[in-house]
Amino acid sequence: MRISDFSKKKERLLKIKKEDLIDLPYPYNRRDLEPDIQGLTEDQLKTFDSSLDGISALGIRMPKDRKEEEEIVRKFINGLQKLLTPENNWTFLMPLYHSLEYCVRCQLCNDHCPVYIASGKKEIYRPTLRGEILRRLVERYVKKRSSVVLKLSGCDLELNWQTIARLGELAYRCTLCRRCAMACPLGVDNGLISREIRKLLSQELGLAPKELHELGTVQQLKVGSSTGITPKALKNIIEFIESDIEEKLGKKIKIPVDKEGAEVLLIHNAGEYLSWPENVEAFAIIFDLANIDWTLSSDLMGYDAVNYGLWYDDIQFARIAIRHIEVAKKLKVKKINVGECGHAHKALVVVADRVLTGDMNIPRESALPLLRDLIVKGKLKVDPKKNNFPVTLHDPCNVVRLMGIVEPQREILRRICPDFREMEPHGIHNYCCGGGSGFAIIQSMNFPSWRSSVSGRMKLKQILEVFQDVISPDVKKYVCAPCSNCKGQLRDLFNSFKTNELCGIFYGGIAELIVNALEDLKKPFIEWEWH
Amino acid sequence: METFLALFTYFAHLFLIHVYIVRLAKYLKMPVHLRWELYPVIHEEKYPSASSYLEEKDWWLKKRKKKYLRGFFFLLKDYFILSDYAKGKFLYWLGLYPWHMGFILTMFFEFLCFISGLYIIRGGQVSDSSPSIVGTFLYHMTLIIGVLSFLTGMVGSVLIFLNRVFDKSLREYAVLLHYITYGVTFLLFFTGFYSWFFTDPKLEEYRLFWAGLLSFDFSRVGLWTAIHIMVYDLFLLYLPYTRWLHYITRFFAFFFIRWDDEPNIPGSSLERKVARLLEKKVTWSAPHIDKGKSWVDLARV
Repeated sequence: MRISDFSKKKERLLKIKKEDLIDLPYPYNRRDLEPDIQGLTEDQLKTFDSSLDGISALGIRMPKDRKEEEEIVRKFINGLQKLLTPENNWTFLMPLYHSLEYCVRCQLCNDHCPVYIASGKKEIYRPTLRGEILRRLVERYVKKRSSVVLKLSGCDLELNWQTIARLGELAYRCTLCRRCAMACPLGVDNGLISREIRKLLSQELGLAPKELHELGTVQQLKVGSSTGITPKALKNIIEFIESDIEEKLGKKIKIPVDKEGAEVLLIHNAGEYLSWPENVEAFAIIFDLANIDWTLSSDLMGYDAVNYGLWYDDIQFARIAIRHIEVAKKLKVKKINVGECGHAHKALVVVADRVLTGDMNIPRESALPLLRDLIVKGKLKVDPKKNNFPVTLHDPCNVVRLMGIVEPQREILRRICPDFREMEPHGIHNYCCGGGSGFAIIQSMNFPSWRSSVSGRMKLKQILEVFQDVISPDVKKYVCAPCSNCKGQLRDLFNSFKTNELCGIFYGGIAELIVNALEDLKKPFIEWEWH
Repeated sequence: METFLALFTYFAHLFLIHVYIVRLAKYLKMPVHLRWELYPVIHEEKYPSASSYLEEKDWWLKKRKKKYLRGFFFLLKDYFILSDYAKGKFLYWLGLYPWHMGFILTMFFEFLCFISGLYIIRGGQVSDSSPSIVGTFLYHMTLIIGVLSFLTGMVGSVLIFLNRVFDKSLREYAVLLHYITYGVTFLLFFTGFYSWFFTDPKLEEYRLFWAGLLSFDFSRVGLWTAIHIMVYDLFLLYLPYTRWLHYITRFFAFFFIRWDDEPNIPGSSLERKVARLLEKKVTWSAPHIDKGKSWVDLARV
């Protein structure tokens, strides 16, 4: 594929096949054990654009007529202009400007992109492609350079509806893991460029995957959680969790909800309540044992730490961040502690930092240092032998590379898991789980199939490699993923490759491992039940 | 002729300085942005493990120690190694390294000519038989640095051109300006080399030319030296239209973006800046945004 093909009316720029993807270790060295990459249905093909690679994350509808096409192009150019003004984009103007102006096209970053590598180095997944196209469009349609300059600088790419649809989809083939940015000696950030393209589409054209926008941020602002859990439903779930704890522990724990003046407001990703309640239980047990003055909130937004705005829309991002703070203010807590959710860490602790002023700037921190301190300072009595199974750690990009929280989770695992083993590479050099930047929750059309086969491939490869000496399904193995979205991705990834059945690989959070190692616990907390 | 060459040289230098100042001012005047740091952040205390202050419980109650000079020297050192390229793209580095060294050395060569010029107009003698050690030192340094810059620059221009042509990924992203740039730089270093090798083996003419520039008493130079100076001046005029400002903006990108982990402390000047930015009116026009409202008003909807 040539860059100029991007604006040409072709049926599809790439047809991705599983044979083209990089090889996986045993037992997936047999390609027949691998799932196929699904195509779109006939109806979907007629309705939605799939001219990039036959996959659809955004669900962009084909325009009805030429007039509609022109309107989309006009809006896109408006959005492009707005991206480069301080009024509309003070939030990311400097990083964007730098990345557009100072890339020298050395291509050093390419081999750091898990999607590009996993795909068998398919040209359209090259991390520099989005930036190059955006740069060329800016030169031609915003800076309006003369035709000679455009020719000399190669910026004569035509902007049409097809270009926009492809560029939009392409922005959703990058997990925003920013591994490429880390590799750039000049500070260029192609991950940010993907995000800015998503933002342009959302904030100007109203285009975003429905799981991120309608069912995501819009629903969260309306009913309190992107999962759809209402405050009333939450109370029922907490009652269930309390009775489950009683059954497992043999003693009752009252989970504090809406306790005014508590020291810590703990906010989980609401996905935990629905899919992994054992994580919520584990936190409750740990905090109770450690005598922490804490509370959950049942207020709208107070029980769901997610902020999908981080991935596609600054306005939605700010709205949710402010609601989180308002909940904390109302409860008069001293600080907010974010549970095991990577993007919520980055959103609330770091990125929201420059949205919150005055009394809105309530201290916020990750739960990991607190958990580490409890273990290291001996406030929780643990017996590592109880975790006598192979454990590896998946590093959520948002927690390590984007926040510098690298050691606390390792200090915990080294103390409670005698067979803790590191994947390679790990820490800030980790590979994304493949579900980053909203991918894990995008379930529509054929995107989940691409996500498992392509964007999650490097992670699966790493996990298989680290457990290769104990790969038999008879040996139970645990991938510790202290992040809800990563867990969601691992669940889907392992399901589609039948990894639990074929290799005995299970996944879960870090709090569950801590509770499983507690000295006084009569029976194991981790039940190895696949869900 | 010598007057034209001198005036053109003044102009080229002033033009470059002017454009650079304008560009850098534009960069520095940009508003503060949301935090988007990437670890390792070099001034962090726990930099070796790529950790941040966020690894501490109640981090806001603790003192943060920053080692800014470490970042400065890290970036400075890498200009002379280009280590990421050496590790990640060795063949490319083989061209890039001498090419960059050519520039660095040519700037140093010009600086030495400038110093030599100053020394000469103050009555000093720059030659291998100078009675002063300063004169001898300047002579030898100018000669070594100048010749090295011509040689490395020429080799680098050729190798980097070949890299662009034969490496598929580089070729696809190359534009005409890339090749023009390689041509211009080859010409720059080649003319320098030619004038040294065939007409001015002691590089005497450059020193005298600079002495003339500094004393406004312009001296005559040979044809090939004049051509080289002319190409050098054209190169300076061309520079702003390339991405070579990354020599400086790289510092900005690292200090102001990648390593910018400064928390928004209540009552700080950062907080005041953010508060002002939140008052800006937004014109985004998607259905979920009320066009014309400020960021604050939109966020509180």
